[in-house]
Amino acid sequence: MTTDLQKTPAEPVSATVATKNFGDIMVREDQIITFSPGLLGFSELHRYVLIEHGQESPFLWLQSLDKPDLAFVVMDPVFVLPDYQVGPINGIQKELEVKSLQDLKVLVILTIPPGRPQDMTANLMGPLLINVVNRRGKQLVLESSPYSHKHRVLPAKG
Amino acid sequence: MLILTRKIGEGIILGDDIRISIMEIRGKQIRIGIEAPSDVVVLREEIYQRIQEENLRAAGVRDVDLKEIAHIWKQKKDR
Repeated sequence: MTTDLQKTPAEPVSATVATKNFGDIMVREDQIITFSPGLLGFSELHRYVLIEHGQESPFLWLQSLDKPDLAFVVMDPVFVLPDYQVGPINGIQKELEVKSLQDLKVLVILTIPPGRPQDMTANLMGPLLINVVNRRGKQLVLESSPYSHKHRVLPAKG
Repeated sequence: MLILTRKIGEGIILGDDIRISIMEIRGKQIRIGIEAPSDVVVLREEIYQRIQEENLRAAGVRDVDLKEIAHIWKQKKDR
């Protein structure tokens, strides 16, 4: 199966990348997000692409281009906590060369327990920051924040 | 592992721009000062491990889980 992620036709540089969840996907160079260093625990894996899960779904896949079977489910933290804030980010703003705060995308990784998806949690303590202009990203660790690394996304049943 | 003995007020230099100094010793606790460039990540080990472990757990998601999740999410929104 080949899923074509290409949305604008005038971009010539693209490559086919194998993924476990999506089969072979076409990825343009300008879609590749580089995390350097990689996410904690995956420091050797740098290249990712964001794939929308579907219309009306706030969930996105963050698919590794270096390891076909590695994909994270991520979402904008405002869907979890409307007033979520990463706090002072001067250092990382400089590091990712963010010129305007509008260029900064914040995502959080979701952990979905097998067989109990309603118990999924969001890692609000380790958000991903991405400069959408140069597509450089970094996982931040909010050490002295009130946020949990296991924040429940949906209310518990019953 | 390199093991060094230091007194209060003494320090250790790592590379050209990282300085670690012993600020205070109180019983079993030691206060350590760290001067490092802003792009150097400095974290308590247990916090680092917590985020690392959560990343590893999150990496095991399957597509079928997400379809169900998206369905639950839509129900919640439509309510």
